[in-house]
Amino acid sequence: MSIMEYNGGSVIAMVGKGCVAIGSDLRLGNQALTVATNFEKVFPVTDRIYLGMSGLATDVATLREQFRFRVNMYQIKEERDIEPEAFAHLVSSTLYERRFGPYFIEPVIGGLWKTQGGEYKPYIAAADLIGCLNFAKDFVVAGTASEKLFGVAEGLWEPDLEPEDLFETISQTLMNGVDRDAYSGWGAIIHIVTPDKVVTRTLKGRMD
Amino acid sequence: MNTFVNQFSTSSALSVIKKAQAVTDDDEEFSDAAWGSEAGFGSLAKGVPSFSVPAVQDPTSFLRLHTDDHADPNCRIKIQHGTTTLAFRFQGGVIVAVDSRATAGSYIASGTVKKVIEINPYLLGTMAGGAADCQYWETYLGIQCRLHELRNRERISVAAASKYLSNLVYGYKGMGLSMGTMICGWDKTGPAVFYVDSDGSRLKGDLFSVGSGSTFAYGVLDQGYRWDLTDEEAQELGRRSIYAAGHRDAFSGNTCNLYHVKEDGWRFIGNYDITKMHYDGPGDVPGSTKVAYGYDVRVEGRTSSNPPVAAAA
Amino acid sequence: MATDGGAYSYSLTVFSPSGKLVQIEHALAAVAGGTTSLGIKASNGIVIATEKKTSSILIDDSMLDKVCVICPNIGIVYSGMGPDFRVLVAKARKSAQAYWKIYGEYPPTRVLTQEIATVMQQATQSGGVRPYGVSLLVAGWDVNRGPSLYQVDPSGSYWAWKASAIGKNMVNAKTFLEKRYNDDISLEDAIHTALLTLKEGFEGQMTEKTIEIGVVTVPTPTEIDAERMAGPNDRPKPTFRKLSEEEVRDYLAL
Repeated sequence: MSIMEYNGGSVIAMVGKGCVAIGSDLRLGNQALTVATNFEKVFPVTDRIYLGMSGLATDVATLREQFRFRVNMYQIKEERDIEPEAFAHLVSSTLYERRFGPYFIEPVIGGLWKTQGGEYKPYIAAADLIGCLNFAKDFVVAGTASEKLFGVAEGLWEPDLEPEDLFETISQTLMNGVDRDAYSGWGAIIHIVTPDKVVTRTLKGRMD
Repeated sequence: MNTFVNQFSTSSALSVIKKAQAVTDDDEEFSDAAWGSEAGFGSLAKGVPSFSVPAVQDPTSFLRLHTDDHADPNCRIKIQHGTTTLAFRFQGGVIVAVDSRATAGSYIASGTVKKVIEINPYLLGTMAGGAADCQYWETYLGIQCRLHELRNRERISVAAASKYLSNLVYGYKGMGLSMGTMICGWDKTGPAVFYVDSDGSRLKGDLFSVGSGSTFAYGVLDQGYRWDLTDEEAQELGRRSIYAAGHRDAFSGNTCNLYHVKEDGWRFIGNYDITKMHYDGPGDVPGSTKVAYGYDVRVEGRTSSNPPVAAAA
Repeated sequence: MATDGGAYSYSLTVFSPSGKLVQIEHALAAVAGGTTSLGIKASNGIVIATEKKTSSILIDDSMLDKVCVICPNIGIVYSGMGPDFRVLVAKARKSAQAYWKIYGEYPPTRVLTQEIATVMQQATQSGGVRPYGVSLLVAGWDVNRGPSLYQVDPSGSYWAWKASAIGKNMVNAKTFLEKRYNDDISLEDAIHTALLTLKEGFEGQMTEKTIEIGVVTVPTPTEIDAERMAGPNDRPKPTFRKLSEEEVRDYLAL
């Protein structure tokens, strides 16, 4: 039994036109036993950056606090919000610090960055448990349903989706992906990050 | 076989016995040949082995090395284990309820598996463990039960049928068969349920649940079980128990298949989507309280995190 | 024992009854004795410049660096003790690389300035050390605050300037800059102003050998965006650079 599958759970992020979407399932398990169905795995980092983590739940909670600490320190020191690229590197270096005794999580980052023209561009990235970054132009996934999510996303995603269409695409991908995974599901949560607001929706999913 | 040479040979004691054996011998070996991998095209001669065995010194330990996934999770041959099945005996007969999920590792390979095997109109078998093992041997059991009927002009008892299966799988002990089954039916003694597994256990009882979700099913079952349950109450208990297992166990779920065995044989009651039962309940079916099974749905507005409007005010 | 510090001039930095840290005052005196350096922030960049003086014509001054690159977007110049500056440059460079290692980008000017200031402050409070005998001018560009110019003193205090001067001739130079400075001065004008300022009280001949100049240039919005979308193997385009001797000669000729 892999420790990455001990608690189960999956996360996904997708790029849209001037927006990004990031979401997770809601299951917290103890191997086959479903313990809770309200365990969110995506957290806000700034107004325009969200961080999702799949893997060992205790490490998800620890790292959530760890990143909150580091981002707050950054904010105080630099008197500005951290940008997605810098945050992705922060995640990467934080994970590599534990190269020989890693945190058992796989992070997924979704955010927007502002160009000099004042326009917002989407940014997504994922990493393995020791921080090898993977920047993608389309979507990134992690967790026990990652293989299934890759498959569904490959079929559903298309470029330049508007926020509402992106929401539909990521929801369908996540729901249908986790329905083929024993360790993920039991509902889901999606955040759509746009330049002026973040829309969060909780989805009802299969409860078995 | 009754060759001419045999028939007309001098009647030594040995040949008399042989002759008697040949006459009284049933079609066991014949049926094996027809039933086995030759699919009826192989030789119908006596003693044709149905299964090829690994060509090694000790096939039993060889098979255990490669199939026993309790000892070695990385073994080559994976057997499907996640399941919830249950059966119980009550005043109105036997209720058999199962889920329909098949998993290969964490992958949900199917959500529409039939885990109740209809052995004959009076006998049902449930499927947990190796799907192929259960399907094959319980169908085989059906053939033997029919032969029993033809030979004895009466239906086989549930006890006898389950014992036949138990003895059969015991013969393959250590070779990797994986079955946890309940043989359910109605015979002269009334409703009967026997638990049979590939280790060779055979237990008579009122109430069983088998599979990775069995603990969750037992929780609901034990709490609601009585001998004098009405038919409708019993069916609801079966459904509700499978729902609980489907909800909590990662390896059980998708739908519930419900059967009811009465004096005149079994009847398929229905197929129920577990998520639908969570959000809406089982629908307009006998015994249903028409309330959703899901905890969050059921207690909406009545929990500390989500109190009723009056309490909040 | 020092003559003017009396009992309070041990190497350990301790308060005098009047509330002064005499060691820091000594350090400032060392700075005030150093060659003049200055910095001017222009509308489209920054210039930092210094006088390079050698005690003998026999010294090969080609290896003497007073304006130093810390990272692609930041450079510093000093007045005071050369060896102390060298140590601070090494620490600042290390700090910039450590920041890059964590965030994948180089530090904003202010953050790096704070890092240096912290190092300098620690030398005023630690046992067994003396304060650094230098003042620094830190010039840099970053995407958030654009071009910025800071001064750091031996005490560890730092300020942002539009234009400033440190070293021997700082008082005169500052007065000169105050007269000459305006908010929309261009980088080219600022470089000339810098040279003119240094000329005041310059001992000897101003040549490309006796002047060092560093400039910050502000990238265009297109360049900034391109930088952010660059891959991990693309090197950042520097916004701080030292002028070559040829360039300095050309400016002096004008």
